[in-house]
Amino acid sequence: MKKKDIFEFVANHTRKVIPKLKNHTFQPEESLKDLGANSLDRSEILDMVMESLSLQIPRVKIFGAKNIGELVDILHESMPKE
Amino acid sequence: MIPVGIEAMNVFGGIAYLDVEEMAEHRRLDTQRFENLMMKEKTVALPYEDPVTFGVNAAKPIVDALSEEEKNRIELLITCTESGIDFGKSMSTYIHDYLGLNRNCRLFELKNACYSGTAGFQMAVSFILSQTSPGAKALVVTSDLARFIMAEGGDALTEDWSFAEPSSGAGAVAILVSESPYVFQADVGANGYYGYEVMDTCRPAPDSEAGDSDLSLMSYLDCCEQSYAEYCKRVSGTDYRNTFHYLAFHTPFGGMIKGAHRSMMRKMTKADASETEEDFDRRVMPGLIYCQRVGNIMGGTVFLSLVSTIDNGIFDSPKRIGCFSYGSGCCSEFYSGVATPQGQKLQRGHEIEEQLNRRYRLSMYEYEDLLRGSGAVKFGTRNVKSDFDLIPGITLGHREKNDCFWKKSGNFIANTGGYDELRDDQSPL
Repeated sequence: MKKKDIFEFVANHTRKVIPKLKNHTFQPEESLKDLGANSLDRSEILDMVMESLSLQIPRVKIFGAKNIGELVDILHESMPKE
Repeated sequence: MIPVGIEAMNVFGGIAYLDVEEMAEHRRLDTQRFENLMMKEKTVALPYEDPVTFGVNAAKPIVDALSEEEKNRIELLITCTESGIDFGKSMSTYIHDYLGLNRNCRLFELKNACYSGTAGFQMAVSFILSQTSPGAKALVVTSDLARFIMAEGGDALTEDWSFAEPSSGAGAVAILVSESPYVFQADVGANGYYGYEVMDTCRPAPDSEAGDSDLSLMSYLDCCEQSYAEYCKRVSGTDYRNTFHYLAFHTPFGGMIKGAHRSMMRKMTKADASETEEDFDRRVMPGLIYCQRVGNIMGGTVFLSLVSTIDNGIFDSPKRIGCFSYGSGCCSEFYSGVATPQGQKLQRGHEIEEQLNRRYRLSMYEYEDLLRGSGAVKFGTRNVKSDFDLIPGITLGHREKNDCFWKKSGNFIANTGGYDELRDDQSPL
């Protein structure tokens, strides 16, 4: 799985959870919080992304990302090595 | 195996509350975000209340209803709290004294943030099941309060604080555990526990709290899944949708439970949005009603939700309730038990809703005065002279006129003629 594919999952699921962002063009340096996602929205987006990636690791391992780019990096590193 | 569980359970939700919608308007919080919190009121602890007064007020009606013989069979009293008033001396000693219990009784206190009540309850259940003292009873008292004081020159009302403020409450739950589980019969051995080290929230100093709400939410959700998975390993055939008629959650705020339930329903049952919404209203909402009015009472919140479920659910036949407890730091547990129509009748006899209705509604001015530290008693202060006129609306006379809990139960404060008499020579507060 490439980082840009994970980025697309994050963008698409964010659009589903925050409908007002449906036409938004996401940038790696943007944070979900600044885009209007509250903590419950963010956890739901994360749930959906992890499900799409079939990634089963504790959520607390993914904690700490300050923006979408960092989130994608952490998710990418957490993926099983092919 | 003998039956075990809750013989009687009572909540004390304080004497004063704040309408948090009024507070949200006053603070100009984002309306949508505030609505997502799903909170209505919160109990505010007054400077002349502490976790001992809360605990005694919760326990006294239960103990007073026992015969002398039954009362003397209370051989274990555990206080469960993260709001202790002393690093060494347990609050259980004060509560034991004010309740007039038998001295052949184990007294101690335990903590693990909001998991403490469940920890105490499970220890009590194990004690009864051990049958080392057949017929004995155990009293578990959870008691916690949030007392935020604005730091001088500081800016406590940051955005994060402004959304924690509406949900931090105060309250105590007293739980009598015995071989006669009239109110809630525990499913013995049906326990999934799960814990690990995480720094999500903590109380590093007596009058302050610190933490990261995002990390705490993630840890809560991880534990919700993992403790339930462990429960399923131990109880074959468990089905998230059908095994439990009701679900009682540790409830930091209502919206969080909505999110946790949605996450669990998606993962465990693949339910769609409308099924999840219907399920939430039917199985979870009865347990949120009191939580929305008292706020997060930490160690006892899962039991506040359990009481709310039993009082407000439909119990035309015995029904199973799944309980999820989480305490930061962290430890968690998913467990279950059964409540019956007779049990609901007994539980409703404590008139929790009426008690909450009798609380005094603080104005924003009165609340903010308390928040600025007016009358606050710092940890470790000795020989306190409490100012009972701090909020003129709340007096013993006012309480009597309103036929409130004190007069009705003839309990703690009214009996002693004033809290300061108790505290001066008996408490280090």
